[in-house]
Amino acid sequence: MDAFWIIITGFLVASSTGMLGNLLLLRRMSMMGDALSHAVLPGIVIAYLISGSRASLPLFLGAIVMGVVTTLLIQFFSSKGKLQSDAAMGTVFTFLFAVGVILVTRFAGEADIDADCVLHGEIAFVPLQTSSFLGLNVPAPVWTLLVLLLLVQVIFWWGYKGWMITSFNNEYAQSIGIRTVLWHYSLMAATSVATVVSFESVGAILVIAFLVVPAASAYLITDNFKRMTLLIMLQGLISATLGYFIAEWVGGSISGSMAVASFLQFAACFAWIKAGAKKEG
Amino acid sequence: MNDLIKYLTLSDPNVRYVALAILLLGGVSGAVGTFNFLRKKTLIGETVAHSMLPGVLIAFMLSGVKNPLYLIIGAAVSGWLSIWVVDYITRHSKIKGDSALAIVLSSFFGLGIVMLTIIQRVYVKEQSGLDHYIFGNAAAMTPEDSAVFGTVSLIVLFVVVRYYFSLKTVVFNQDFAQSVGINTKWIETVIRFITIISISVGIKAVGIVMMSALLIIPPTAARFWTDNLGRMLFVSGLFGAVSGWLGAYISYSYSSMPTGPWTIVMISVIAFVSLMFAPKKGVIFQRWSKLLVKRKMNEENLLKTAVQLEVRGKGKLFNRRSISTRQVFDQHLWNRTIKRLRRKGMIKKVHTGYTLSTEGRAIGAEIDRRHKIWEVYLQRRMQMSLHLVHDEADTMEHFLTPEIEVEILKELGLCSRFNPLLEIHEIVPEGA
Repeated sequence: MDAFWIIITGFLVASSTGMLGNLLLLRRMSMMGDALSHAVLPGIVIAYLISGSRASLPLFLGAIVMGVVTTLLIQFFSSKGKLQSDAAMGTVFTFLFAVGVILVTRFAGEADIDADCVLHGEIAFVPLQTSSFLGLNVPAPVWTLLVLLLLVQVIFWWGYKGWMITSFNNEYAQSIGIRTVLWHYSLMAATSVATVVSFESVGAILVIAFLVVPAASAYLITDNFKRMTLLIMLQGLISATLGYFIAEWVGGSISGSMAVASFLQFAACFAWIKAGAKKEG
Repeated sequence: MNDLIKYLTLSDPNVRYVALAILLLGGVSGAVGTFNFLRKKTLIGETVAHSMLPGVLIAFMLSGVKNPLYLIIGAAVSGWLSIWVVDYITRHSKIKGDSALAIVLSSFFGLGIVMLTIIQRVYVKEQSGLDHYIFGNAAAMTPEDSAVFGTVSLIVLFVVVRYYFSLKTVVFNQDFAQSVGINTKWIETVIRFITIISISVGIKAVGIVMMSALLIIPPTAARFWTDNLGRMLFVSGLFGAVSGWLGAYISYSYSSMPTGPWTIVMISVIAFVSLMFAPKKGVIFQRWSKLLVKRKMNEENLLKTAVQLEVRGKGKLFNRRSISTRQVFDQHLWNRTIKRLRRKGMIKKVHTGYTLSTEGRAIGAEIDRRHKIWEVYLQRRMQMSLHLVHDEADTMEHFLTPEIEVEILKELGLCSRFNPLLEIHEIVPEGA
């Protein structure tokens, strides 16, 4: 049963982050997952110090707030300082991470918190957090992630036209009166929420992987947007399953194995597309 | 204060090597990062640094010891492989650079995490300290580390000097570099080489994220101060070195404060100060100069309109209403512009309105003249239609230097004191 819940968790994370990752890919902001995973650290530490508990709600709120602050700072650097966007992103998230590490070290004596536990949440612990609901024994993270997935789906289908048009041609969108900045911020806010919620249960590395790798392989295979989203979910399921069994086999981290599995899948898609191109050309 | 003196004179042997090593590391990575920054591949350091983890661990498993040399070689090999994969993906598919970086980062690091969990189980005793390759441990730096960083700095310095011209050409214009016969592939390899050696020696000292920060932030800060590659390399290296030195100082005088993160905070402060206050490219300077231009335009518009009213026989006295027949000013803007013009002695207050001083009249007439020169130029040379040229010339009249004016007049075949009193539609178009 543990295996089942772990795989379901992986699948849920892949589906919700992958949908947003799809949009990030089009905007050339795929490194945002990496940036957010580091930048939220000070938010978590500050929330912990204020609330004095390791309950997930305050930490979660702290992380969300820091995610939004990160987005605003990156935007400030790139628009006001006229910096290229990757440099703006790199400067902001490394700085915030450094601040987070300093806070952790400073309060290490008083706080039972370290960078390791925040960034490398482990999916293997998911089944331990069972909670009973309507007579079903389902791990709490699964409920949270299920709600997240529903939310992401609603937001995604509500907004994807706006995000598509602003991703493909920002100037055009601006000229026909679409508020491009607002769309940008809403996507970033959604990404922050989705990544932070997922970090807690599966760890940063898997979120970074699931944010971009399934989306990238789907993007290789098809141009059709709806098919792409279906493919992302399918790949999430396969990566989660495959990753789980790799981890069982070698006896290593499950999150890490799932990240590797999703890469293997990407490599397979890549080889398949290349072989197809060779046959045609 | 005592601490500072002790630190500055390097009399404490504990701090000597740490300070020296981190200073060298900051300087080298600042310079190396500049090349990646200018090629708009700033985040490559982040991916390479993360991707080194599996290499370090494989080297550890193969050798069974934590010999830094083996581990650095392992790191370099897997770093090299990661760049190769990123390159391969972007070259052979429609995946863009940023996605390729994220894909490689997550999969290599994921593999590293899997291996680390296995190693922690199998090599329970020998493995302790391997996590320094993730989080860094500057306090444990030894004289050998300083020597290694020193060697790497020398190698980087040598490479940059040796290939300076080619590097510069490739960084700024790859196609041009190729067309003048520079081996761009080789130069790219050189850039990769210096990136990888600096990261592979640096991660153990400051950790993965701090190492990539050292490659990203110093060039970002340096960019606000100069456009010249040589100067940018120097400034970026200097910022990196200074912040490394400050970081080591903070860690020295407040025990338990980590060196790496403080170095990053210091360099970020430098970057932020540069962003805000740097001359010419800083945010505040840019705001200010925009404001000055706007003010100047308003003043010139007012003077010009007053002159036009005079020429048209509407009398020497003007006020907001008469000016607004040609150029709209709201009350607020009018008050501020009038105040500045009066202070400069361009206009005088005369009971019910204002009149131009001789100086103000001269400037207004000059702007009016420029406006007409532009109108004629736009109409004759740019083939713009008559009803469009006025609006266009309205903005361009404020930006006409004497040199360009001479050029335009020559081009149009007009005498140098061309001074039309007529509006454009009253001048017969050339050839009509």
